[in-house]
Amino acid sequence: MTATLFAILYYVATLLLVVGVAMKMRRYAKAPAPLKIPTMPAPRTMKGVYFRMFREVVVFESLFKSNKWIWLFGYLFHFGMLVVVLRHFRYVTYDIWWWLELIQPFGIYASYLMVIGLMGLLVRRIVVERIRYISSPSDYLMLILLIAIAATGMGMTFVQPVDIVAVKGFFLGLLRLQINPLPSSPMLLIHLALVALLMIIFPISKLMHGPGIFFSPTRNQIDNSREKRHIAPWAKKLEE
Amino acid sequence: MKRLIIATLVLFGLSYGTIQAGSVYLEIPMATGEPHPEGNVFWRTNHMDLLRHDRDLTMRQGERDIDASLASCVTCHAVNGPDAKPVTVKSEDHFCRVCHDYTAIKIDCFQCHNSVPADFGETSLMFNRPDNTLDILLAYLEELSL
Repeated sequence: MTATLFAILYYVATLLLVVGVAMKMRRYAKAPAPLKIPTMPAPRTMKGVYFRMFREVVVFESLFKSNKWIWLFGYLFHFGMLVVVLRHFRYVTYDIWWWLELIQPFGIYASYLMVIGLMGLLVRRIVVERIRYISSPSDYLMLILLIAIAATGMGMTFVQPVDIVAVKGFFLGLLRLQINPLPSSPMLLIHLALVALLMIIFPISKLMHGPGIFFSPTRNQIDNSREKRHIAPWAKKLEE
Repeated sequence: MKRLIIATLVLFGLSYGTIQAGSVYLEIPMATGEPHPEGNVFWRTNHMDLLRHDRDLTMRQGERDIDASLASCVTCHAVNGPDAKPVTVKSEDHFCRVCHDYTAIKIDCFQCHNSVPADFGETSLMFNRPDNTLDILLAYLEELSL
């Protein structure tokens, strides 16, 4: 019964996540960018833009330049979560890749970094008055949701282990369109339900900053306004 | 166009499912001896803590007479290789490795401990010691205290 429920939940959540993010990205791509507004100093070649975007995504360059300690907590959280998510790939591949086996122990330490980062960001929202003033319920929700996901996940590692062979059987089954039994450990079910919730609200939340960064005119434009006139297609029509 | 893309994706997904169909589970080797009274799921989820607990009992409090020792695990759960001898942890068929490989968890027990039943161990000091070990030790201690 729980297995069927969770199977349906995960199929629906995956569909909403994939379709939702794709629709949002389509909207971002079609949004007009009538002006040349890269944040200066900006790269003057396309290669330079790729390099800038790479730095932005991999080391959060602009955040580092604007606020060191928000960068620290943000980076701890994002990097920790990356390793933790990679570690979870063991549940969806039957044969384990060599690097996946290699990062398993690091994933456990990464979970500490992830929680430390999230706690730091939550404290920031509550303690810094200026930030508290502009914080909306959804800002808190995201942090608390991610903390709860990390806490239940760590709970299964450190406090109350679950039968992960069965968990893997369940998820490999989902990929092959079969519903296999799922252990009914409360910690696991809460963890999975929260992750599904995260997947469902992802496309309609601030978490879209991930895919969104690639569509930011201030980050993805070349500083070539002297060499090449920047003109929107609709404006071009008016000139002809 | 949109429908075409979605249909292709769905078809691709379905075909992936059928290609991959078949068991997603492991063949967990059968053990000899009595089944665990606590049930298999209990052991699957708690064996690491039980073994670690026993290690602390043995190492810190000197208790060697414990319920679950690694040596008895590998005796009941021995898997025979093609040469009709129990395989060591180097083989993929070793009882522990079947699930540990599946879930990408490294076992470090057997860096020190024996992974086959005592009789087959190559260098099992615990079991291959001479019968008069205790006398030798006592004689040694006596010498020290003189």
